[in-house]
Amino acid sequence: MKITIDNQEITIIEGETILQAARRNGIQIPSMCYAEGREHRAGCMVCTVKDVATGRMITSCSVKPTEGMQIDTRSDDVVRQRTMALELLLSDHRADCEAPCTLVCPHHLDVELMLKAYDKGDYAQAKAIIRRTFPAELGCDNCKAPCEKACRRGAVDGAVKIREIIREVVEMKDLPNVQAEESIARTEKDIFFSRIGIFSDKEKEQLRENRLTPSRCLHCACDGRAECRLRRYATEYGIKRSRYGLVSKQPFKLCIAVGERLRFEPAKCIRCGLCVYNSENGFTFVRRGFDMQVVIPEQNYANVNEELASVCPTGALYIVR
Amino acid sequence: MIMACENCKSNIEADRAALCSRVDAIIARVGGARADVIPLLQALQEEFSYLPSDALERVYERTEITRAELLSVATFYSQFRLIPYGKHTIKVCIGTACHVKGASTVYDAFRRELDIAEDSVTTADGRYSVEKIACLGCCALAPVVQIDDQIYGHVQPGRVKAVLAEHEEYLKSHPQTSSDEAEADKYVGEVRLGMENCCQVSGTAEVYKAVMKAQQELGIAIKIKPISCVGACNQVPMIDVVDKCGNLTRYPNVRPQEIKEILLHHFPAASIFKRWKNTLLNQIDILHTDQTWDNILYTPEKERTGEINTFLNHQVRISTEGYGHINPLDLDEYRAAGGFEALRRVLESKNRDNIIDEVLKSGIRGRGGGGFPTGRKWQVVKSAQSEQKYVICNGDEGDPGAFMDRILLESYPLRVIEGMLIAAYAVGAKQGIFYIRAEYPQAIVRITRALDMCRQQGLLGKNILGSDFSFEIEIFKGAGAFVCGEETALIASIEGRRGFPSQRPPYPAEQGLFGKPTLINNVETLSQIPYIIKYGYEKYAEVGTTNSRGTKVFALAGKVRHGGLIEVPMGTTIRQIVEEIGGGVEGGEKLKAVQIGGPSGGCIPAELCDAEIDFDALNRLGAIMGSGGMVVLSQSDCMVDVARYFLNFTSEESCGKCTFCRVGIRRMLEILDKLCSGRGEADDIDKLEQLALAVRESALCGLGRTAPNPVLATLKYFREEYEEHARGYCRTGTCKDMVKYVVTDKCIGCTRCAKVCPVEAIEYTPYEQHAIDTDKCTMCGLCIAECEFNAISKMPLKSR
Repeated sequence: MKITIDNQEITIIEGETILQAARRNGIQIPSMCYAEGREHRAGCMVCTVKDVATGRMITSCSVKPTEGMQIDTRSDDVVRQRTMALELLLSDHRADCEAPCTLVCPHHLDVELMLKAYDKGDYAQAKAIIRRTFPAELGCDNCKAPCEKACRRGAVDGAVKIREIIREVVEMKDLPNVQAEESIARTEKDIFFSRIGIFSDKEKEQLRENRLTPSRCLHCACDGRAECRLRRYATEYGIKRSRYGLVSKQPFKLCIAVGERLRFEPAKCIRCGLCVYNSENGFTFVRRGFDMQVVIPEQNYANVNEELASVCPTGALYIVR
Repeated sequence: MIMACENCKSNIEADRAALCSRVDAIIARVGGARADVIPLLQALQEEFSYLPSDALERVYERTEITRAELLSVATFYSQFRLIPYGKHTIKVCIGTACHVKGASTVYDAFRRELDIAEDSVTTADGRYSVEKIACLGCCALAPVVQIDDQIYGHVQPGRVKAVLAEHEEYLKSHPQTSSDEAEADKYVGEVRLGMENCCQVSGTAEVYKAVMKAQQELGIAIKIKPISCVGACNQVPMIDVVDKCGNLTRYPNVRPQEIKEILLHHFPAASIFKRWKNTLLNQIDILHTDQTWDNILYTPEKERTGEINTFLNHQVRISTEGYGHINPLDLDEYRAAGGFEALRRVLESKNRDNIIDEVLKSGIRGRGGGGFPTGRKWQVVKSAQSEQKYVICNGDEGDPGAFMDRILLESYPLRVIEGMLIAAYAVGAKQGIFYIRAEYPQAIVRITRALDMCRQQGLLGKNILGSDFSFEIEIFKGAGAFVCGEETALIASIEGRRGFPSQRPPYPAEQGLFGKPTLINNVETLSQIPYIIKYGYEKYAEVGTTNSRGTKVFALAGKVRHGGLIEVPMGTTIRQIVEEIGGGVEGGEKLKAVQIGGPSGGCIPAELCDAEIDFDALNRLGAIMGSGGMVVLSQSDCMVDVARYFLNFTSEESCGKCTFCRVGIRRMLEILDKLCSGRGEADDIDKLEQLALAVRESALCGLGRTAPNPVLATLKYFREEYEEHARGYCRTGTCKDMVKYVVTDKCIGCTRCAKVCPVEAIEYTPYEQHAIDTDKCTMCGLCIAECEFNAISKMPLKSR
């Protein structure tokens, strides 16, 4: 069977979908809810292409081609639909891709990474991270500390005292020399940054009481961002922010420890269902419509293994570093 | 102390053991396969009145159904609840017809009257729970409320207290009705009365009791015959009196106290003594009460209403053939009227291709909404190669504001069954399923009984009517999800999954239920099949327009004088339906628009109402035929609010699978909420339109793709109303945040508004012009309804 994709003639291998045929021939089609070799059901609508003959938008990840089909993957209206799908997903995705402190640091110190080491009590690592940015002299003394101004905790009960902590770590004596952990923060201007928006009063109250790390840092940065396709495609499609604003009411950083290292954060979930379809009596959908959520009952924790994290297209299901 | 704890522990264990044995018994009865999950949950809920988590855990332990699946299905369908409810459940219908007549204030009124806490749905004493329900299908009686199994019609906010009292009274009395059959000779005549939901609501039970009492007092025997809906749902309770010679006199809007007079008018009392006694008793009645004074009794229909004949006579009956004189569950009567004649002919002809050809030539198109040619669907299923094929009758009528399928199932169950048998024979299926929503208990009862009767008479089962054709039909109760009207989602739910639609192709006709070829036809479509076969396709095709043949059944409701079920030939204009059949807009208001097709349809403005009813013509106007809900809107209805109402419905009913439907519709709804609350901005309308077009283009299934229609159609015809809303002005005063209630100088200070106000926003100031405290006022509308001087009006906060 032969079809054309963007005027390129392609011979179809029995049983493959339009998406598979396109990718096999080097034509890039983005997709969130599809994972190679895994059970999936079309839902994210990011892989939309146009059937030229009918003018209809179809999901390339699930439609099987028919003889002579003409597919368009890059005209303006296809791009418009994909962009809108991404923006809609982003409007209900509550996450900070990067921690605001790290984003604004004029010296490009990964503040959040450093505080993570600090909160674990790994001061040697924290010092190594600081020293990577400031091999000789600290740049913080004369700095106006935009990191502290940007700190999310500022809106709750006062910003984390970042400069004090840096000073404290730097002045610690007799710490072993260690290799600084690689930063995965990407702070370039042309990259998409998701933001969590404002905290509700209830969240503020909860944060005041519950999220007390030694540094008081909330660790806003997303732990799954390195693999996040939502961020990648949002960047590719030139999205700066969703035109529907920061309206998501998802619970901020509610983090469920499913396994020893496996974590699930519902606020970042796009409801694609890959973890549901690929676990037996593990994750499941509850409710329907906009209120539909992916959950995992506690009794089912033992039924999923870490490997499942690889199917998640966002940072909702990940393995802690 | 130790003893007590041990006691507690053993009590808990005993409770759990008892619960487990109840659950086990249900599993043994219903089954524990994956496909049984919905019937199983329904049975559990019937047993426990909700789904206790221990019971679900027990099902997980005992069956192959996983915990994940149980949770997923139990939370998808709106029928299931995971928290216990009160002893009695009040279901407030928020269907379209009820919505335009103020259902949400009725809901608020119940909550207020029962003093239900904000985060709860149940009263503190656990006696009542209140919930909103998508549609009870009694649209002609809007606003409608169901308490337990009783339906109450025309429940305005001010009647809430009375309705609750009435229900308490009902609970005390619990009337038992009995029906004993005897030979016809015994009877001097017959009284027919409608026993449909609408009729029962409006007090048929009282009328029934009055007839029973009257015949005892008069010493005569009258046959009481329940009949199917005659469609004049606004004229109920209605009785037909038939004397021995077969003369029929119809009495619409009868009251129980009139029954005796009516019967006496037709049938002489048994003995001179009784006649004399009755005259005397009536004299005493007249002296002591004024009930018999307030109207002239026994006025036959024309004098009473003048219009009822127009209402009924303008119609052509195919689906509802035999209305008013056929007992829904009288098989002999149905056969005497030519029922199962078509089936017999089909089985004798033994020519499947001919049957499909007839159906094809008749030009009938599916009545479920899409309008796909029925014959073509049959062809595909017939030519599919498979040992097992299924026929499903789709009775999951989820449109708020539509009740055609309910009435057809309740009133003409045998005709639908016959249609299904013919379809099954034509396509070569052995197994049929009636998919009926659980919100229609009466329909389920009727169909169950009708199927039993057919089985006894050899019309169902092995070797039907002595032929080699065998066919069995089961009933599947839909658990409450609008999306299950969509074929693939319907199949998913029968298979015991969430009602997620799936990719088409493959179409169900090729790979449907359990992967087998499946024919899915709507109730109304199947009910027209016997007619086509019996009278021939030519006769059927004579009715209607070129592209839309036959008749269409509509549920006419909203702001119309005579609402009810109507069946009109295709090609009738919308105006004819509203003006000539419906008797025009109620209350002398002007027609603004007619909403056709429910949440997937659109509003047709009054100036375009000369359009003919036809699949393609309606599509061109931005509406769809849909399943046939027709809601009349008057000048006092806000079109932005109507669009918001439907979006609210679809956003709750969306399955949640695809982004455009799940998030897109929600974002549209948020924009509409903003507009309706006066927080709108100028670019909101464009944003809304862009989103609507994107959702229409890209959503995965029919529900999603058609969901923006109510918005797009109102934007097309009533854009200026949107623009006004963006500026903070609602011309009809419907949007509460843009108006306040004020008392004008027409007020004479009668204090009635002050007395009726449930939140004490109006001070008791006799003989002075009243004033409303707008901070307290909840705008429930009770004072407006109560005021006899039209002295309370809704004043816009901003000027046009």
